[in-house]
Amino acid sequence: MIGVAPPAYDPAAPTTANTLPVGAPATVRAYVSELFQRHRRAFLLLVAVNTVAVVASMVGPYLLGDLVERVSDGARELHLGLTIGVFVVALAVQALFIRQVRLRGAMLGEHMLADLREDFLVRSVGLPPGVLERAGTGDLLSRITTDIDRLANAMREAVPQLAIGVVWAVLLLGGLVVTVPELAPAVLIAVPVLVIGCRWYFKRAPAGYRSEAAGYAAVAAALAETVDAGRTVEAHRLGDRRIALSERRVKEWTAWENYTLWLRSVLFPVINVTHVTVLCSVLMLGGVFVLRGWIDVGELTTGALIAQMLVDPVNLILRWYDELQVAQVSLARLVGVRDIEPDAGDAGLSPEGRDVHADRVHFGYLEGVDVLRKVSLEVAPGTRLALVGPSGAGKSTLGRLLAGIYAPRDGRITLGGAELSRMTAEHVRSHVALVNQEHHVFVGSLRDNLLLARTDATDAELWAALGAVDADGWGRALDDGLDTEVGSGGLALTPAQAQQIALARLVLADPHTLVLDEATSLLDPRAARHLERSLARVLDGRTVVAIAHRLHTAHDADVIAVVENGRISELGSHDELVAAEGAYAALWQSWHG
Amino acid sequence: MQIQDLPYPDPGVPDARSGPRFLWWLGRNQLGGQFKSLAWGLLHFVSVSALPFCVGFAVQAVVDRSWSRLALTGGLMVLCGAGIAVGDTFLHRAAVTNWITAAARVQQLLARQAAHLGSALTRRVAAGEVVAVSTGDVEKIGWFVEALSRFLAAALTIVIVCVGLFVYQPALGVVVAVGVPLLAVSVLPLLPRATRRADVQREKAGRATELASDTVAGLRVLRGIGGEELFLDRYRRASQEVRHAAVRSARMWAVISAIQVLMPGLLLIAIVWHGVRLAREGRITVGELVTVYSAVMVMSYPLRHFEEIAMAYSFSRPSAKRAAHVLSLERVTDTGGTRAAEAPAGDLYDPDTGLLAPSGRLTAVVCGDPDAAGRLAERLGGHPAEEGVSVLLDGVPLDELPLDSARTAVLVQDKDPVLLSGSLRELLDVPSSGAVGAEEALAAAQCGDVLVALVQGSLDTEDPMDARITERGRSLSGGQRQRLALARSLITDPEVLVLDEPTSAVDSHTEARIADGVRELRTGRTTVMFTSSPLLLDHADRVVLVHEGAVVAVGAHRELLRSEPRYRAVVTRETEEESASRDEQAVLRSELGSRDAPLRGAAEHDEGPLRGASDDDDASLRGSLDDEAALRSALEEIEESA
Repeated sequence: MIGVAPPAYDPAAPTTANTLPVGAPATVRAYVSELFQRHRRAFLLLVAVNTVAVVASMVGPYLLGDLVERVSDGARELHLGLTIGVFVVALAVQALFIRQVRLRGAMLGEHMLADLREDFLVRSVGLPPGVLERAGTGDLLSRITTDIDRLANAMREAVPQLAIGVVWAVLLLGGLVVTVPELAPAVLIAVPVLVIGCRWYFKRAPAGYRSEAAGYAAVAAALAETVDAGRTVEAHRLGDRRIALSERRVKEWTAWENYTLWLRSVLFPVINVTHVTVLCSVLMLGGVFVLRGWIDVGELTTGALIAQMLVDPVNLILRWYDELQVAQVSLARLVGVRDIEPDAGDAGLSPEGRDVHADRVHFGYLEGVDVLRKVSLEVAPGTRLALVGPSGAGKSTLGRLLAGIYAPRDGRITLGGAELSRMTAEHVRSHVALVNQEHHVFVGSLRDNLLLARTDATDAELWAALGAVDADGWGRALDDGLDTEVGSGGLALTPAQAQQIALARLVLADPHTLVLDEATSLLDPRAARHLERSLARVLDGRTVVAIAHRLHTAHDADVIAVVENGRISELGSHDELVAAEGAYAALWQSWHG
Repeated sequence: MQIQDLPYPDPGVPDARSGPRFLWWLGRNQLGGQFKSLAWGLLHFVSVSALPFCVGFAVQAVVDRSWSRLALTGGLMVLCGAGIAVGDTFLHRAAVTNWITAAARVQQLLARQAAHLGSALTRRVAAGEVVAVSTGDVEKIGWFVEALSRFLAAALTIVIVCVGLFVYQPALGVVVAVGVPLLAVSVLPLLPRATRRADVQREKAGRATELASDTVAGLRVLRGIGGEELFLDRYRRASQEVRHAAVRSARMWAVISAIQVLMPGLLLIAIVWHGVRLAREGRITVGELVTVYSAVMVMSYPLRHFEEIAMAYSFSRPSAKRAAHVLSLERVTDTGGTRAAEAPAGDLYDPDTGLLAPSGRLTAVVCGDPDAAGRLAERLGGHPAEEGVSVLLDGVPLDELPLDSARTAVLVQDKDPVLLSGSLRELLDVPSSGAVGAEEALAAAQCGDVLVALVQGSLDTEDPMDARITERGRSLSGGQRQRLALARSLITDPEVLVLDEPTSAVDSHTEARIADGVRELRTGRTTVMFTSSPLLLDHADRVVLVHEGAVVAVGAHRELLRSEPRYRAVVTRETEEESASRDEQAVLRSELGSRDAPLRGAAEHDEGPLRGASDDDDASLRGSLDDEAALRSALEEIEESA
């Protein structure tokens, strides 16, 4: 075994572009010092308690050295009873304070961790909707699960343990210097070996552990996917391939395990040699000093025992320093969210009236590629407008612009004369709501899932909203009614029921303008139409922009806009468009027979 | 087994009768590794325990003013140092190797089990269990299996040291021999409570993580409609609960730490008290006293392994039980089949509903109840979750064929096909006839805009085939996912392709083009499409209306629109009030009522696949069902010939 090179394949390397920023070193430093400031008292208390515990732990070796000295001198009066008494008191103090150290350390760590994860969620929840639409929630999700998990260990253990270890080592060395100053240089002999070994190790270890952890996560992820896709895997006879994939993941992961094992195979002897060298040099040098008459046997004993005790804090520091380095990357990812500019809207901007007006709007997701070109549209209050057209034509994009999620690159979109993109997200949503295909059912009670739309709604109002979307039937049949736990882990709702909940929220939020992006696509055909009709009654008088892939939705609308290739190619009522015999008419013919 | 040789070519057949048996099986399968770890462990622990003797020798040498003995002790220490360093490094290597090979073996077993259970996983609670074992339990199982030999080495060392001390200095050795076993067990009574609290903490942490990721997953909804504070408050509460549980758990561990200091401390004091008096009486030397003192100090290191093994066992026992349970799950039907493997080709016929899909044609099935449609689609592929009359392909019962043959002959794409993560090339690389290329299939499924989106979202590739698809294709819209899944099924090019609502999330424009593409690509092959979209129905050779578990009408789309009010109701999405207003509807209902009754009963019965108690009723119902099916197939044939 001459050495192991890091494996070529790195499971921790990003596979998709980082969609959200990662914190710059300055941001991370600022955050860490802020965190420290917030918990300064707890830190100082921990150090103080720890100091007492360590000092108490040195009483034993000191007393034994003293006794040894007197016994070997043949002293008459040993005061054994008194010495043992002090010994017992010191032990009691040590035990008591060790308990405090562990407890205070955990309390501090847990407090910091709780602050960190709550801070992160607060930040995430305040992200502008446009950022979320663009970046998706995947990156954010991995930050709040994987990165928080990695930090948990660091905060819970590494930070307090490192604080303890450093104090401990410094005090032991200090104790040695105070009690046997002659022996202190003996400890330093081993320092070069330790420093060189540790530098080599810490240069490689953090990246190695990160890849190893990512590799292990990939093993579990491959399996989770096989399980999740059980039907697909069986239908396409992919079983053998999935097994092969899992084994490839095992191979990739264990290659990293092998690499980090090699790193430790270098570090461990270095640490062990350091320990033995320290003890050996203290004993040998000390022995020579005693024989020369420079120090006495008692001092030698104390020195040797303290040198032996140094093992623990040094191990502690090395053990947790690793973890802290790994955690640094996760911390950068978490505080990166702070670098995103919060929604800079003009809180004073209020619409007058509720005409929606798009004026020569251009928009593209990428530089130079416009998805929408020169789109102008006027939607009078209370109109039901349907957007139809092929996939990728820009229907959904237009819907999001009308809901104020994106700002147009060129042109203006106004609601009651006020420019949507200049209003705050909170302000926009009190006027316009967007409901898309993503019908997230939150973990929690059915009530919580509805209350988010209007936090002060009564149960009667909630039932009325459910009734408006035909959901009161199954809702009333639930054993616990509104208290039924739904979402992952709770009662599994069908996609159709989830869609009904999304629409019930809309009924509760009661905005005067709605953008429905294929909002009923998951319902079975008959139920969809039924729901749309009952919804139409509830939403009577409101402006509705419906992005539809089912033509009956278009048929029920007041105005239909056919979007093709980023432009509005046809605009008019169903009858007008059918009479015009354009693209819509052709589609309708084939659809309706 | 070395780490670099992993994965195992064959992870073996586990003894999954119980948790402890499974642990035992894992340990037995790495006996070599366990012995290695034991041997290196002994070298390491014994060398560590020998150091105090060196300290004692050195002190005594100095007391006796012997230069030569001091030098000898120095030599001894260098030897011990080598033993410690070599022993520690190789113990660690052996232990980690044991841990990793055990974990890898379990992961491999789980992967095989998941592939074997296949579709059965989605219906059972098992899905979550398999994942839980893989993510949480494997580590604990590996830990215990690995810790066994390490513990044994530590325990042997303690015995050796106690015996050594007794031989070296009997008067003090007795005190140690009595005290050490007490130390070993002193914290054991506290461990169950501590691990319980740790479990509570983990559970709460899991809950908090779940809430956080749930909130983030639904963030777009929250930002769109409000309620952020509601969810933040909820998360803060959960997060604080974690904190309290963690501190509660830490309280216990803090007490354990204190006891770990207190108990050896008391033993040390006893040794000092007793030893000093012995030394004064001249019965022992000062060096011997220092040796015993420092030997006891060092012994706390191997002693910790007593706690570790107790903890490892209490953590791994439930984990091993779960793993054994998951590994012992079996499929309901026999995947081997009772017939020899063959690849039948011909008409697909379901005796239960009377559904007939003629060979080489595109049959569309309309079914008012989407759940019933899903069950029927699943049955068409053979080996369904619920046992029943087998579907026949060219007269061959699919359930009697080996699972693999049945899946080769008929591909059922369910309502929610999953896109597996990886590059697009990997996604489309499925076992296939080889007749349909990726390009053709992607074109037929109208995937042009999906390819553009994939390239835009990827890091460094211009070729859409290299673009990565995230888990479940979450970065794509519902319609895009459906079209990619359809393309994948088209590439497979099976004898019979069953598609359940393949375009429900696709807009009408695109749907019409897909209908053309699929029809053209599947020319000469049998295709069954469950749909209610007029655009697809209009392209089918034959449309079948299934109502309440039986075929009630067969014909062309336009023909059925005119002649069949129930059909019209489903495909044009007339609401119930509208359909109820039609006179003929009422008449037809009464006419069909008698025929539907027994079937409705059967359908209800089918909904409870896990209720196995009423097997007898089942049989009698099946009988009546068979008669119905026979009648219907006769009707069907008459219809066909007409």
